[in-house]
Amino acid sequence: MPGVSVTVKGSSLGTTSDNTGRYSIHASPNATLVFSFVGFKTTEVKIADRTAIDVSMIIDNQNLGEVVVTALGIKKQARSLGYAATSVKPEEISVNRSSNVMNALQGKVAGVNISSLGTGPGGTSKIRIRGQSSISGQNNPLIVINGVPVDNTNFNDNTIGVKGGGVFADGGDGLSSINPDDIENMTILKGAPASALYGSRAKDGVIMITTKTKGKTKGIGVTYNLNYTNDTPLDYTDYQHEYGQGENGVRPTAPNPTSGQWSFGEKFEPGMTQILFNNLTVPYTPQGSRIKEFYRHGQNIANTIAFESSSDKGGFRMSLNNTSNQGIMPNNTFNRKSMNLGFSYNLSEQFLISGNVNYSREINTNPPNIANQDNSIPTTLMAMSTSMPLHVLDENKYNAAGDEYNWSRFTNRTNPYWVLAEQFHNIKRDRIFGNVTLKYNLRPWLSVQGRFGQDYWSRDEDVNNFPTGQASRAAAPPGFVNGLYTQESRRFRETNLDYLVNANKKFGVVEVTLNAGGNRMRKRTDANNVVVTDFITRGIYTVQNGRSKDPVYTLIEQGVNSLYSSAELNFNQTYYLTGTLRNDWFSTLSPENRSIMYPSVSGSYIFSEHLTHVKWLNFGKLRLGYAEVGSDGDVAPYSNQLFYTPNANFINNPNGQPVPVGTSAISNNVTGTTLPNANLKPSRIAEVEAGLEMRLFNNRVNIDLAVYRKITSDQIVLVQISDASGYLNTPINSGKSRNHGFEAMLNLVPVKSADWSWEFTANTSYNITKVLSIITNKPGERITTGTHVFNGETRHVVGQEIGQIAGYGYAYNEKGQQIFQSNGLPQRSSDFMLYGSALPKWVGGFLNTVNYKGFRLSVFIDYKLGNKMLSGTNFNAVRHGLHKMTLEGREGGVKGVGVDAGGNPNNAVAAVQTYWEHLRSQQIIAPVVYNGGYWKLRQVSLGYDLTKHIPVRWPIKGVKLDLVANNVLLLKKWVDNIDPETFGFGSDNQIGLESPGLPTSRSLGLNLNIKL
Amino acid sequence: MKKIIFAIFFFASCEKGLSDLNINGTNSTSLDPALLLNQAIINTSFPVKSLVFDIGVVQQMISPNGGVLAGANFNQDSRDITTQPLWTAYYQSVIKNTYDALTRSKDLPNRSNMYNMARIYQTYVFMILTDEYGDIPYTDGGAGLVKGALFPKYDRQQDIYPLLIQELTEAAAALNTTAVIETGDILYAGNVDKWKKFANSLLLRAGMRLSKVDPTQAQSIVQAAVAGGVITANADNAYIRHDANYTQPIGNTLNGGEAANFYLAKPFADQLKNTADPRLTAIAIRYVGATSGAGQTVAVGTTDPTKQIGMPIGNDNGTIVAAAAADGLASFYDYSQVDRRRMLKISSPVFLVTAAQTNLLLAEARFRGWINTGSAAQYFADGISAHMDQMVVYDMNSAVSTAARDTYIAANPLTAGNELEQINTQYWIASFLNGPEAFANFRRSGFPTLTPNPYGQPNNPDVPNGTFIRRLTYPTSELSVNSENVNEAISRQGPDKLSTRIWWDKQ
Repeated sequence: MPGVSVTVKGSSLGTTSDNTGRYSIHASPNATLVFSFVGFKTTEVKIADRTAIDVSMIIDNQNLGEVVVTALGIKKQARSLGYAATSVKPEEISVNRSSNVMNALQGKVAGVNISSLGTGPGGTSKIRIRGQSSISGQNNPLIVINGVPVDNTNFNDNTIGVKGGGVFADGGDGLSSINPDDIENMTILKGAPASALYGSRAKDGVIMITTKTKGKTKGIGVTYNLNYTNDTPLDYTDYQHEYGQGENGVRPTAPNPTSGQWSFGEKFEPGMTQILFNNLTVPYTPQGSRIKEFYRHGQNIANTIAFESSSDKGGFRMSLNNTSNQGIMPNNTFNRKSMNLGFSYNLSEQFLISGNVNYSREINTNPPNIANQDNSIPTTLMAMSTSMPLHVLDENKYNAAGDEYNWSRFTNRTNPYWVLAEQFHNIKRDRIFGNVTLKYNLRPWLSVQGRFGQDYWSRDEDVNNFPTGQASRAAAPPGFVNGLYTQESRRFRETNLDYLVNANKKFGVVEVTLNAGGNRMRKRTDANNVVVTDFITRGIYTVQNGRSKDPVYTLIEQGVNSLYSSAELNFNQTYYLTGTLRNDWFSTLSPENRSIMYPSVSGSYIFSEHLTHVKWLNFGKLRLGYAEVGSDGDVAPYSNQLFYTPNANFINNPNGQPVPVGTSAISNNVTGTTLPNANLKPSRIAEVEAGLEMRLFNNRVNIDLAVYRKITSDQIVLVQISDASGYLNTPINSGKSRNHGFEAMLNLVPVKSADWSWEFTANTSYNITKVLSIITNKPGERITTGTHVFNGETRHVVGQEIGQIAGYGYAYNEKGQQIFQSNGLPQRSSDFMLYGSALPKWVGGFLNTVNYKGFRLSVFIDYKLGNKMLSGTNFNAVRHGLHKMTLEGREGGVKGVGVDAGGNPNNAVAAVQTYWEHLRSQQIIAPVVYNGGYWKLRQVSLGYDLTKHIPVRWPIKGVKLDLVANNVLLLKKWVDNIDPETFGFGSDNQIGLESPGLPTSRSLGLNLNIKL
Repeated sequence: MKKIIFAIFFFASCEKGLSDLNINGTNSTSLDPALLLNQAIINTSFPVKSLVFDIGVVQQMISPNGGVLAGANFNQDSRDITTQPLWTAYYQSVIKNTYDALTRSKDLPNRSNMYNMARIYQTYVFMILTDEYGDIPYTDGGAGLVKGALFPKYDRQQDIYPLLIQELTEAAAALNTTAVIETGDILYAGNVDKWKKFANSLLLRAGMRLSKVDPTQAQSIVQAAVAGGVITANADNAYIRHDANYTQPIGNTLNGGEAANFYLAKPFADQLKNTADPRLTAIAIRYVGATSGAGQTVAVGTTDPTKQIGMPIGNDNGTIVAAAAADGLASFYDYSQVDRRRMLKISSPVFLVTAAQTNLLLAEARFRGWINTGSAAQYFADGISAHMDQMVVYDMNSAVSTAARDTYIAANPLTAGNELEQINTQYWIASFLNGPEAFANFRRSGFPTLTPNPYGQPNNPDVPNGTFIRRLTYPTSELSVNSENVNEAISRQGPDKLSTRIWWDKQ
């Protein structure tokens, strides 16, 4: 059997058997060899002076040998885990890949809700494990690579670095540095009992990635992988095409009509024309798909070549990768070049050294602006009036002075072609992360490990927030041209130094494992940022050419010291009990609050050991766990005091002398509206989890169920205080919320024969999060965490599900009739109404895989259900007259069905444009709140293993070709005119508030893997 | 070997060094109060919300459009439209800084001038706030950092005014030339004399405010102010000298996205036209024949006073089309605007308290017999004269020539029987672009004679038919966050509506 692991017991010497099942290893004559392979019983054989030992492997129905990498890199037997830890096969991420490595896992892991944000390649991936655990913030899981946490700061909502407006692009996150081809294993620790050993950073789960360090077979191996996909933008708009551009029922008949975005013009009749721009007479007819006309096909090519080698003393693997993504937004590209080197080597029988280094260079060019107004192309395109030909906008970008031609009285809807021509945004990042580990076996039962890891990146960004000549901006002082430009250079370093002592000993039927260790983490960010206002020479966006410069240097440092230990007891490999304890000391907290302790206890009972007479039950386990974990990053560095800063520019006093001006800032966010609190503590989660795992009928039926309940308390709530205090808000520890739910995975293999097999996997998760208290636990008490760009907000209300969409609705009387004002316009509700939670309740998917004689077809359907969304795209469609609901009343006005203030039937008729625009003037969101759920045929792939067709003499050892299709079909959605997945915001502060983002796209492509 | 393990254990548990990491290396924990006062002064520049409400209520500028511009033009209480209310801007960006400045300088004897300047300025801002809203947090206002007053209680306006008056009196008296002269100040470069006049002019204003509700008290305050010395010459004007880096909000907005949305209102334009007021040329421009924002080019612009046509009050962007046609215009873009290249540049100055306003108040005080020096007619003429001379500070091309000024003054003397109307109409003109002050004096004096905005009548829920807006409503943030205190204020003052009269605005 090839690939069987042969190790010398008690040492780190090992090898693997080759293709013919042969192996060769150095060992002392009285040592013991251990043979292991997944799915087979691990066998130990004493050498007893023999020089050749043959072993037959026996199938293991009881999964005794399966080993899982758990927190801190500690390897444990899968059967001993008292909590849920899901492993992901690397092919799931590398064959059907996406520019952000996590997006390929959408819907595939129960309890893990992944949303790819509609922000272009190189964008952030939003990962939510077991619901939203806290009221505000990002709630992102910790990412650990080869045992060392790496930075996953994301630049999604641009509160970092770029100030002054005009830029609403996603600057990427930390996962963009990872090449999926380098991943050997990904384990997701979903709940607190699993991640307790990570203590303060584990509140939202942990994603543990192990990269390849050496070859699997002896000798040298070369692997080449090519992945290519082509993306087609998808258009779901279903706007009215009966009335064209114009306001109040009149179409443009004179040059420079400035309605631009409004479609309340005249009804289309054949032969009608309109006069636009420079006196051009243009046919007045409905135009075709804006999305298909403006956006281009995206193309993604990834090439990886890897060299690996393995011997009985160790091995190494090096890979080189180039990934090039061309986004559907013209001008937007993302390129990553990376090198990954892994090695492990036995310096002696007792001493193992291993390490891993990943270097990547990422260049993100022109990430698109979304969701806002100025410079946001999707916003302008999705509200473009029905009869405006796009080529007219392209041909008339500039006016006589060379500035943006003012094409709409809504000057904040920038001409998309002008944005493409004039705005640039460059982000370049060099990143190197890695670690070196030394492991020494003091005794056969005692080992000590020391590890040093570092994540360092340097990121340069420059963007002209407002290019010169933008129509919505004021002119510069005489002698200058207007515009705003930002340039930033930012360097980040995180170092982790840790040690771990491991002891494992058997006392009869009782086995005891002890782990103890400590960690010293330090983080530092240096950023040099300069904002330049107005320029001397037109077209040159540099610091030297600026009129007014605002340079800022920022330095942020923090550190955490930790100690942790775990003890595991097992009785006869049937009963397992584990306890862990971790204590963290934070630099960001006041000395009285600095030390926090996180305990956990979990256990599992392999009940199938006591039911061996039940032949169809191969494996059954009950597990139970409880843990407390905390949150990293809740309390920002330096947030205990108020700081001040003088402004960059001076102003003249009446005598003509320049004098300084200044005000308060809080640490490094120059907002100055938050009153600091020196006594903050991190928030805390207490979670209980229970699970059941069963394998039945020779592993043909596999079930994994988990239920959990977690309570997050002491959440840091930025509680809004009275403006009259001089400040907007202050942070306090007070919020409490509760998540509970279940996760289920069912795996069936209905057909398994020599020629073909069919495997079906369904996974689902159900989660409800409820707000228990904010400042007090009085039901109805609320806090607003984010407001929509146009209208409405995300609010958390005590006694309701988390993430409520709130806004004004229509007013109704006690009989349920709608109330209208005397002018025929609908009356607005007296206060904000709650429309439901924006968090999905059901997330899951169905995967069908069929194998037939080397062909492999897999079809994956996923769904997200039970969430509400406030659609900004539809809001604009209504107020500008594009949505089909605005067809009502075009001829003769709208007579609302309902009553007036006195209860009599409404007879007032309102002009159609005023009626539908009322939504904006009165901030009514009721008509544009939708059920945000969907069913999608997410992936279809067809693969073929060509290996058996290759002549044996050729050096090629394996060839696999897969054809892949992603985002194949939208089976069901409830929101009008858009794909419910076109969200662009990763922060949970604005959950559910959709605003126009990039359209989603369907991608088709292939993956070719060649092994030499 | 055990010793090695214990040693490793203790290494990581050390807390040393963690405290040092939490010290900010790039920002300081204190700042000279002069910088804070300067920031407060700059941030007082009247926000766009005062254009949407105050200036619209007194019918000097108007917009036919809704959305963020809905306010006085539609008799609409647009509580939550996203332009920041005066309340938030002033408490968070002005009073926060003045409170901090005076707390820092209070106990430093050589900074007593800074302390008193901050007191005077803070009092000015509190007066604007209470004139706009009525009952407001005063004794605990701005005290979030110093006293931990996160949810301050509201004081009654009738209790606030005496405290404001007391502050002005004491602070003005305490200014002296022996302590350090705060030359870093952007209002007067620390000149003690000018600060005293500023304080006394504010006292005069406060006194006149009480003319309806308590004339006796008003008289004594006015007398005290005049005795202390008020601003009578333009050289002593209190104004913010904006520049390219510190632009003014209204100028910024009207030179950017909303350039084509605000127009000179008919009542104001007619008042200036019908009296052949040379200030019309200084203020207005009309883009003849414009049919769009893009069509408002310099080439078609005219400042000829005979060609200026003001936009009538009471239209929305549906009915304005007919109104423009009725006025013989190509579109509503063809109405007169305030010239954003002269008076409303992004760096145009913003006048807070002027010689013109002070002289006109003195004219009224003299007419009422509350003071005995000078003559009402002379103060009246001086007030108009000061305002016309002030025009050149906005822009060279807005200058009013001495000849034109003198001709107007000669043709428009103070006539018997019409004094209050004439004085306060001129005050209205002299307070142009100072929304809060024009709004406050209009309510107090009842002049100029304007027709209430007919939009949305007769059943407008926010403004009773035939009346004007009399205050701004409390922002939703107060109603939701500080509900106990604001509801107490509402129960004392009256419903939180645009139509509720505040204490000094007696019927």
